[in-house]
Amino acid sequence: MQELVISASNLCVNVKEKQILKNVSFSARKGEVMALLGGNGAGKSTTIKTFLGLMTPSSGSVSLAGVNVHQQPDVVRQKVAYLPESVMLYGHLTAIENIKYFLSLSGKQKTAGDIAEALQRVALQEASWNSALAGYSKGMRQKTAIALALLREAPILFLDEPTSGLDPVAIDEFNRLVKQLAAQGSTIFMVTHDVYGACHVADRIGLLHNGEIVGMFDAPEHGNIDSEVVHKAFTAGARNE
Amino acid sequence: MSSAVMGSKVLAIAKDEWRYWRRSSLAQTVLLIALVLAIASVWVTQAAITATAEKRQHMQSDATQVFEAQPDRHPHRMIHYGHYLFRSPPPLSTLDPGIDAFTGNAIFLEGHQQNSATFAEQKQSSGLTWLGKLTPAYVMQVLTPLLLIVLGFGVMTREREAGTLDFLKVQGVSPLTLILGKAVALAGAGLLILAPLVVGALLTLLNGAALLPVVAFVFAYLLYLAIWCGIVLAVSALASSNSTSFSGLMAVWILMCLILPRIAGNTASVALASQGKLETDFAVLQSIRDTGDGHNANDPAFKALKDNLLAQYNVTTVEELPVNFRGVVSRYSESQHTDVLNKFAEQKMQIEQAQADIARKFGWLSPVIAIQTASMKLAGTDLENYQRFLRKAEAIRFDFVQSLNTLHAEGLSYAQDANRYASQQAQKEATVSSANWQILDEFHFTPLAPTQLFANSLMALLQLFCAMAIVVGFILFAGRRI
Repeated sequence: MQELVISASNLCVNVKEKQILKNVSFSARKGEVMALLGGNGAGKSTTIKTFLGLMTPSSGSVSLAGVNVHQQPDVVRQKVAYLPESVMLYGHLTAIENIKYFLSLSGKQKTAGDIAEALQRVALQEASWNSALAGYSKGMRQKTAIALALLREAPILFLDEPTSGLDPVAIDEFNRLVKQLAAQGSTIFMVTHDVYGACHVADRIGLLHNGEIVGMFDAPEHGNIDSEVVHKAFTAGARNE
Repeated sequence: MSSAVMGSKVLAIAKDEWRYWRRSSLAQTVLLIALVLAIASVWVTQAAITATAEKRQHMQSDATQVFEAQPDRHPHRMIHYGHYLFRSPPPLSTLDPGIDAFTGNAIFLEGHQQNSATFAEQKQSSGLTWLGKLTPAYVMQVLTPLLLIVLGFGVMTREREAGTLDFLKVQGVSPLTLILGKAVALAGAGLLILAPLVVGALLTLLNGAALLPVVAFVFAYLLYLAIWCGIVLAVSALASSNSTSFSGLMAVWILMCLILPRIAGNTASVALASQGKLETDFAVLQSIRDTGDGHNANDPAFKALKDNLLAQYNVTTVEELPVNFRGVVSRYSESQHTDVLNKFAEQKMQIEQAQADIARKFGWLSPVIAIQTASMKLAGTDLENYQRFLRKAEAIRFDFVQSLNTLHAEGLSYAQDANRYASQQAQKEATVSSANWQILDEFHFTPLAPTQLFANSLMALLQLFCAMAIVVGFILFAGRRI
């Protein structure tokens, strides 16, 4: 059996006395793609931010590769790549400059050839590589961030609404890439409200509703997903995070 | 994280900040303005002060020549003819003219009077020459912090607003590393703006400035700009948005650079009110009146002097005295006048000194006041040096007047002197040879010893160190909240 890489145990997160996550527990093994589905305000981004050490649990714990995130955040961050929903790269830098800068901050040494290969792999048009990101579309920014995540060679990837803003062709390319990375041993955790996309790439799908896991399904048996539960997860009690 | 890894991250963040500034037209404009201001102020002030120093040297020598070229005259006329003393500006005044620009640097020496220094730059310049007053010290003390604020208010809030702050953290960049990187970038900007002042300071070494005060002067400004970089960084790290950061920093700048220096000055003048010029002049006049009129040898105020002198020489009339009694009276009266004048002058200087001490205490609250004090003290352009000049000038005035009074007493007979208005011939005879006018010593106002200048600035430097420590604490606090 593959080792547990991502693990949340009775995770509770409060923000200003409001409980955002309530006793959330799940895990993902090495090489697995896990998707957390939920409507707006379900607590998906909070879950990711807690795994990234950007938010602190009020109780329970999260660990990555057996290391408690909040006890050793620096150790954990070496193993993690993160693709945020709104890609947070610098508008004044080009795609190549952004990648070089963030790689230098994470201590990775990559050649110009490696960077070009990663950008080709995410299908970012070569003509735009040396243009400032300020002029990029959301999809182009997303591709740049994915290229960065690839170059970081992190064994664990956190993806926050990764296909939002991408065109159908780019979504297909992205899904293929995710599967490829998982096959190479990366563990991928994504939060999304794209049920189709999640079913397409994930090995396991969790349904989050009002901060609680209301269902967990093995994706190869997509037929097992209870449409009532999915409907409930997406429609009831939406709130802002 | 090893220090080498952290160092490389800090450098990468600093380089990126500089890259951002290079590509931002606002940052480019701010840096350009800062550099132009710094270079122009150093250049203009250096040229102006150097020219002034040369001019004063010539004027001093001209004044001596003109005095010595006077024809045979009655010595008392020479006392009223008077003489000028010019103070050469100290080398570091090219960077901080301090209070010299307001106080004047020339004094007219004459009998029975202690004149104020005259020909202050600020009093002579017209409205069009305002740029001439844009001294390097003013640029560094007041304008550079403002430019650093415009340049750096967004160093941290920009990351927060763009969402890159969280992304950076996930890349393994700790808040401390990020803050250090931004601090290095801001410090680089500060150093760039400071560079013209450093060059100016090095030039003063060629013009005779001592190494210790020059090094301390540059160090004080380095510390001062570091404080401002720290303030910019801390406020930007604590603020939630660019606009909050900018308005917060502007409030700090207005308080530190505009309001507190005014409050300091006003507090000092309210706490220790000094008499107005009119009241002082009346009080001086009243006290001098009591000492008698030195132009009138028969003034009852000199009766005791007369009696003592007659007894000393065992004669019954002043005509029999071997010295000119009118000259003796002049000398005695001048001495009495000078005691009175010195008493009032010392009182005035002590009040000024106490007021300055009160105002300088505000340096614990505002680094602007601390750097102003340190800068003027190290440059030798502070109140104490001005008062030293006044005291030295007064000593010279007294010697100058008394040597002419001695000439009056010993070089001219009483009979000649008393009858000098009897005829034109008598007037001509009641003179002494112009060869006697060679009484003026060459005047050099020597600066304080370098160690003394440094010692005088220690309190202000300590105030700057304390401000730096508070700012560092503030930054660490802000770092924990990132």
